Amino acid sequence: MEFNMRNKFHGIVLAATACAGLALATSAPAKETVQLGFLGPLTGGNSSVGLGGRNSAELAIRLRNDDPNSKYTYELDALDDECKPNVGVQVATKLATNRKVAGAVTHYCSAVAMGTVDVYHRFGLPATIWGAVLPDITYGNDYPEITRVNGTMINQNETAAKMMTGLGYKTFAIIHDTTDYGKGHFTYLSKYLGEDGAEVVGSFGVTSDQQDFTAELTQVKALNPDVVVFAGLTPGGVRVRQQMDKLGINAVFEGVSGIKSDAFFEGLGTDLAEGTMTFLEGAPAEKLPGGAFFLSEYEKAGYSTPPEAYGPFAFAAMNLLIDAVETVGPDRKAIVGYMGKVQDHQSITGPISFDDHGQNTVALITGYVAQDGKWVVWEDSDYAKGIRQLPAAK
Amino acid sequence: MDFGLIAQYLANGILLGTMYALVAVGFTLFFGVLDVVKFSHGDVLMLGTFIGFTAWLGLEAIGVTNPWIQLLGILLCSLGATALIGAAIAKWLVLPLKKAPQLNTLLITLMLGTAIREVVRLFYPNGSNPKAFPALLPNSAIEIGNFSLRADSVILVLAGLGLIGLLNLVINRTRLGLAIRAVAQDEETARIMGINYTLVVLATFALGSGVAAFAGIMNGLYYNEINFGMGLILGLIGFSAAIVGGLGNLYGAILGGFLFAGLQTVGAALLPFASAYKDVFAFAVVIALMAWKPTGLIPERSSDRV
Amino acid sequence: MTDISLNPLDRPRPWLAGASVILASGLYVWALIVAEETWQVLGLLLLALVAVVIGLKTGLSRRVQQDWAQSEPRLNRLAFATLIVLILALSQAHFALLMVTTVLLYFVAAMGLNIQFGFAGMVNFAGAAFFGAGAYTAAVLGTIDAFPPLLTLVAGGLVALLLGIPLLVPIVRTTGHYAAVVTIAFGVLFRTFLEVNEILGGPQGLMVAPMRLFGWDFNNSPTIGGFEMSFYANYALFAAVLAALVFVLMRRLERSWIGLHMDAVRLDETAAACFGISVKRTKITAFLMGNLILGVSGALYGMMISFIAPASFTFSDSLLLVSIVLLGGMGSPWGAAVAATIVVLLPEKLQLLQEYRFLLFSILVMLVLLFRPDGLLPRQLRNFFATRRAVK
Repeated sequence: MEFNMRNKFHGIVLAATACAGLALATSAPAKETVQLGFLGPLTGGNSSVGLGGRNSAELAIRLRNDDPNSKYTYELDALDDECKPNVGVQVATKLATNRKVAGAVTHYCSAVAMGTVDVYHRFGLPATIWGAVLPDITYGNDYPEITRVNGTMINQNETAAKMMTGLGYKTFAIIHDTTDYGKGHFTYLSKYLGEDGAEVVGSFGVTSDQQDFTAELTQVKALNPDVVVFAGLTPGGVRVRQQMDKLGINAVFEGVSGIKSDAFFEGLGTDLAEGTMTFLEGAPAEKLPGGAFFLSEYEKAGYSTPPEAYGPFAFAAMNLLIDAVETVGPDRKAIVGYMGKVQDHQSITGPISFDDHGQNTVALITGYVAQDGKWVVWEDSDYAKGIRQLPAAK
Repeated sequence: MDFGLIAQYLANGILLGTMYALVAVGFTLFFGVLDVVKFSHGDVLMLGTFIGFTAWLGLEAIGVTNPWIQLLGILLCSLGATALIGAAIAKWLVLPLKKAPQLNTLLITLMLGTAIREVVRLFYPNGSNPKAFPALLPNSAIEIGNFSLRADSVILVLAGLGLIGLLNLVINRTRLGLAIRAVAQDEETARIMGINYTLVVLATFALGSGVAAFAGIMNGLYYNEINFGMGLILGLIGFSAAIVGGLGNLYGAILGGFLFAGLQTVGAALLPFASAYKDVFAFAVVIALMAWKPTGLIPERSSDRV
Repeated sequence: MTDISLNPLDRPRPWLAGASVILASGLYVWALIVAEETWQVLGLLLLALVAVVIGLKTGLSRRVQQDWAQSEPRLNRLAFATLIVLILALSQAHFALLMVTTVLLYFVAAMGLNIQFGFAGMVNFAGAAFFGAGAYTAAVLGTIDAFPPLLTLVAGGLVALLLGIPLLVPIVRTTGHYAAVVTIAFGVLFRTFLEVNEILGGPQGLMVAPMRLFGWDFNNSPTIGGFEMSFYANYALFAAVLAALVFVLMRRLERSWIGLHMDAVRLDETAAACFGISVKRTKITAFLMGNLILGVSGALYGMMISFIAPASFTFSDSLLLVSIVLLGGMGSPWGAAVAATIVVLLPEKLQLLQEYRFLLFSILVMLVLLFRPDGLLPRQLRNFFATRRAVK
């Protein structure tokens, strides 16, 4: 009798557990987790851009994880390349050799990206560039794994030359940093300036962490150009502008996309930065097709650093990668194949299409002018409307 | 030859030389007194400059806007804080390690410098971006042809040279200076003569660090920018300058500072590709100088007990 | 009477403690490498700390030292075997092998520095520059297909050696801090020159061709019995052999008259000169020999990593090498091995703390230097013959 009762009791418990288990199993099918990588300069002088990119990529992942229709749960594996090629190669290898990582959004510093393309190719990891602009990264090789969503410096400098010469400036002095980034900008800008009939009266190579530019600027002053161009990143740009003022050089200050950041104003203050020209691929974040959405979500997420210039591209790149995984699954080869066929893929930066080298053509280059402590699109600015004046041509 | 161009180079060279000399003087003082190279010197002065910057932010916040008062406030905070930090490092890190091999101290202070740099970069709000240091000095300029002489450069140079002169006075004419020189010459005898060794060492470190902090402020006021990496570069150059001039010798440090600045300026002016090769040139000359005069231009007058 | 062993240290099995420490270390390093989570890494670090403290307290470390004094050749062979087993155990993990090879190559470089620094007392803050010289040589010679890669390694060493020659005059004439500034200046000069100069790639850097041995390209994955290993295994094994060779060289050097001369010069130049030792010649030998080793390890490193740039060889990297030497104990090869492991592995494992790792690393080095200034495994009294009657 006792035996029967215990048996029955056990039976009930067993059944109850089975039911509960079944209910749990069917109500929440566990989604497979896919790891996606992000590489950028999270420490060092360019960390603000790197962190902006990382936050944007993380935002993309977070939003997709919140989406109940997504097939997988995504996890961000963010690594710091410190803007040094050897470190970049090491962390890229770490990421690429981790079999759980299906793809990655990579690099802001061009020198690092150049070193790591072989690593990605060797391990077959799909890598989408979000910020490096050196053309050779996509055009210097035939690797299907390497794609890029942002533009290259070729388009940027072509537009820059046209716009500046269009404003009537004829003589340019170019100060460029001696990294591939600076040198690349210098090469292309000189070429297009020459084609547009302007003259490069002097060029100076400086190291990327140089503090004192008085020697170069003294010579620049003697040359008396219309425009002083700085081809490098924000820290250098701040210093050059600063010291131009010290030496009493009256010319327009133009920078490449490397100075288009909020850190530029933080370093210079509103007055000195006023009237600086710069250029960037794509439209400003607010004017991008998905820009308002991106900015509001970024704001909501409460990150401590702004997305900076390439945040939207990082977001778009990560979303593209996620879309690839959703379509073909977390298989590296399949994703590479998917990337090869990307045409008119919708993203917040506009439709993405990769050419035969994995390069997205970002046809639009926007010119910006620094006005009242903010980067304002040239066409919308007081300068374009004639309310304020840039220094005149000589 | 364009007079304006030369004058501009000269002016710049003098300014840089003063800055380097101020840092080199610190290295030399520390070495003279404790036979130690405190490599964190550069980063300590960076910390002091950041403290000064914070002081300025604070002054702005409470509404004090007169640039001269702000300047005074910054100087007081920065020099004072740096002096204290320098003395603290001496007391807790350098003095206890007197018995250790010299290169250990060098390495520890190098690591300490790295740690200080990282702390500022990580924990100061937006530490990794350069900060806009306020331009508190009048920026009127006199244009002579191609050469523009700015008031702030003149003030900075005069102040820097004045500080060096003051330091010289302290070392050579006061009792504290006498004590410092005594300790530098012979520690044991100085103690026997009743000099409070620890106090003198701490005072030396405080003095040297405070003077270097002024170099940092000069740097900030002139370039209107400070960043977490400025200490490393200044420290390296100050160290080279002190060595070239001869460690332990105050005049040597000053000479070394101006020499290095001169080399950089000459290199920038005469070589093609301007500044790109100026550091290569300056350091190459430093190496050559060391080959010629192994203990610096004004050599150490030391004798080895055999 | 002559057969009675008066040596109180005559113990049965004079290799047991040493062997167990070697095997335990091998296991520990493997565990540290494969640990993924932060808590695992921290736990292992704690374990190491506890083990070391226990070892010191129970006299185990003394036993280990005695073992080494008495049966060094045997223990060295066991250590090498453990290393090979470790590499094979990790043979499928690309990144782990990359780290192991980096540790080995930094160890070799530290050996070079040890000859200059630990033996002859010549401080060299441009270690990374000579390392880089070797790597750049490998890059340039790699473009010449017909050039045998083994010779490239040697050439790398030679170029580093040649590069050191102009520095000889100031370095030999100066001591201490003055010599330091010469090497620092050279380091900065080297890097700036590379960055500004187009011929060697500039800041963009250069690609380096992989190593080839008897036709076997090191970038191919070796397959043993259908078991495919990471191609890094090639480099790891080669580096292990190189490390062993350099280790043996160091030991031989230490026991030779050249090593004795170097120590004499380091300890007291005047006294050494009084004894007829040519101070200049000894210093030159030490400096050039050290550079040769630095260059060879740099060449192999360049080949492995296949991409180098001036930014890989900065003053901070030189500082890293000097830290390894000082942390481990000047002139102590095993100390350098442990220090190289810590210095390369820890920031990698702690990268989970990303931004803070430089800070933590510098504090760690400071603490070790403060509380154990002789280094982790200080150099022992030189042991000429490992016999049963060796004195501690």
